[in-house]
Amino acid sequence: MKPDDPHIKWIAEPQLGLTGKMYLPLLAQGLTTTFKHIMRSLHGEAVTVSYPEEEPQFANPQIYRGVHRLNKDAAGRVKCVACFLCATACPAHCIDIIAEESPWPDREKYPQSFAIDELRCIYCGMCEEACPVDAIELTSLYNLTGRSREEMIFDKEKLLSIYDMTKDKEPMQSPAMGGTAT
Amino acid sequence: MLEALVKIGLLVGGLMTAAAYFVLLERRMAAWTQDRIGPNRVGIPLTNIKLWGLGQPLADGLKFILKEEYTPAHVDRRLYVLAPLVILAAALATYAVIPFGSLIPSFSIGQFKVEKPIQLTVAPGVDVGMVYVFALSSIAVYGVILGGWASNSKYSFLGGLRSSAQLIAYELPMGLGILGVVLAAGSLNLNTIITAQAQQGWYAFVQPLGFVVFVVAAFAEAARLPFDLPECEQELIGGYHTEYSGMKLIIYLIAEFLHMITASFLIVILFLGGWHLPVLTGDPTATSIGWVTAILRILVLQGKIVAVILFFMWVRWSWPRFRFDQLMNLAWKIMLPLGLVNLVTLAVLYEAYHVYVGRDVTDPVGVNSGWLLLIVACSWIAFIAAWIVVALFNPLVTDNRPRRDLSLTTVDSQI
Repeated sequence: MKPDDPHIKWIAEPQLGLTGKMYLPLLAQGLTTTFKHIMRSLHGEAVTVSYPEEEPQFANPQIYRGVHRLNKDAAGRVKCVACFLCATACPAHCIDIIAEESPWPDREKYPQSFAIDELRCIYCGMCEEACPVDAIELTSLYNLTGRSREEMIFDKEKLLSIYDMTKDKEPMQSPAMGGTAT
Repeated sequence: MLEALVKIGLLVGGLMTAAAYFVLLERRMAAWTQDRIGPNRVGIPLTNIKLWGLGQPLADGLKFILKEEYTPAHVDRRLYVLAPLVILAAALATYAVIPFGSLIPSFSIGQFKVEKPIQLTVAPGVDVGMVYVFALSSIAVYGVILGGWASNSKYSFLGGLRSSAQLIAYELPMGLGILGVVLAAGSLNLNTIITAQAQQGWYAFVQPLGFVVFVVAAFAEAARLPFDLPECEQELIGGYHTEYSGMKLIIYLIAEFLHMITASFLIVILFLGGWHLPVLTGDPTATSIGWVTAILRILVLQGKIVAVILFFMWVRWSWPRFRFDQLMNLAWKIMLPLGLVNLVTLAVLYEAYHVYVGRDVTDPVGVNSGWLLLIVACSWIAFIAAWIVVALFNPLVTDNRPRRDLSLTTVDSQI
C-alpha cells in the first residue's frame, strides 16, 4: 500500500506534554494501578476460589451445563418418552436408549434403559434443546469424578437420582411441561 | 580464619534461603497484582498444616533436584557445565565485601572468647570494595554468554547476545552513578561509604541524579523488568538458559535472584544509608557498640533491602518491557550523559566545598551544613534540569512507520 493511497485513513497520534515526555505520569499510573490491585487482593477480594474449601458460585445455575439428570413427572415416573431425539441430536453419540412399550396409558413408549457415557459427553446441551418433553436437563454439578470408565456410564437410576438430588436447587425449566422454574 | 568461615556459612546459607523465599514472595506478589491468591498450599508434609505456603520453596527445590538433568547432544559439554558455575560463583563471591550489618560487640561463650568487635563483612577492610563488586559483576556476563554459546541453540544464543550487550551497556552508567558516591565518601570501601552517609545525609537525597541513574542501571544489570530482555518469555522461550534443566537450571535461577539481591544491597548501601537510620542506630563513628544497637543496625539494613526488593517486584508488574533499540538508546543516549552530568556537577560542587570551606567533606572535623545544603540544592537543580533536557530531546523515539508527508520516492529509497 502506498502512502498516497486515498483509502488510507491517517490518524494523528496524540502528542505528549512535557510531563509525559519525562515519563512521570506514566510511571506513576503504572505503579498506582498495580498498587490498587495488590491492596485489593490483600484485603481478601481476590477472585480466586479456594476450592475445595470454598464452592464456586454460579451466577445462574439454570444455564450451567454440568452432569445430566432425567426428570420425573408429578407421579414420580420418568418423563422420558423414548423418542430418541436426544440421542440423534448428540454430536458425541454418548446417549444409549432402549425403548419399550409403555405400561402407562398417556404415552406409547418409555425407556427401558437410558445410559449416558459422561466421559464421551462434551456437555454441549443439544440433548436438552432437542427433548420435546423436557425430560433430560443439564444440572450445575461440575465436580464429576470416577475411578473407572464403567463407573462413568450413568444409567437410568443414577440419572433419576441426580434429579432427586438437584430438584430443590434447580427446578425444572419449562412451566408448560410441568416445570416450576420462575 | 574461623571468623571468616562462620561469616561465609551464615551468608551463603542466608542468601540461598533468602533467594528461595524471595521466589515465593515474587509469586505471591504476582498473584496479588493479578487479583489472585497465589501459592498458599504447601506446608508441613503429610499433615494438613499449610503455614501460608511456606513449604513451597522446599518443594520447588526438591522438584528441581529430582528432575531429569538432560544434556542435549549438540552442546559444547565443557562450557555447558562451566557456565552455571561461573555465574553462581561470581554472584556469591560479590558478597565478600558487602556488609550485612555493622559490628557486633566482643563476647565470650565459656572458654571461647572474641576480644575485638566483629565487623559483619566477610572480608572487612577491603579498600577496593566497589571495584571488586564491579569486576565480579562483569564476570557474570561470562556465565550468560558461555551458557548461550555452549547451548548451541538459536534461542539461547539470541538470549546470550542480548544479555551480554545489555549488561555491558549498563555497566557504564552504573559506574558513573557510583563515581559520585565515591567522590563524596572519599573511599571505595562499602563500610566507609555507609559511615560517610550517616554524617553527610543519604546520597539518595544528596545526589538524586546519581541515584536515578544507578537504580535504572541496577535494574538492567539484574535483568529485571522492564529490562528483562535476556529472557523475555514471550519472545525467546527462556533466553540463555533455554537448554538447561534440573540442577543447572536452578543454579541459573538462583544466580539471577542473587543478582537482584546484590542490586538491592548496593542501592541500599550506596544511596539509602546502609544500616543508618537517624536516632535509632547510634553514633556512626563509634568503634564499639552495644548489642541493642548492633541488632538494630542489622534489622534496619535488612529491612531496607526487603523494601527495595519489594519495589523490584512491584515494578515488574507495573511497567512494560523496553524494545531492544529503546534499551540501547536509554543506555547510551540518556543514562550515559545523565551519569556524566551527575559526575561533573558533583565534582565541581565538592571542589568548591574544598576550596571555600578549606577541608574535604569527609574530614573528621565535621561537615559544614550550610555548604552541604548548597550542594544538595545544586544537585537537585541539575537533576531536574537534566531530566527536562532529556525529555525535550526525547531520544527514545525511533519512529520508522510510514508517514503521509513522505513522497513515494523517499519511501522507496528507504527500502
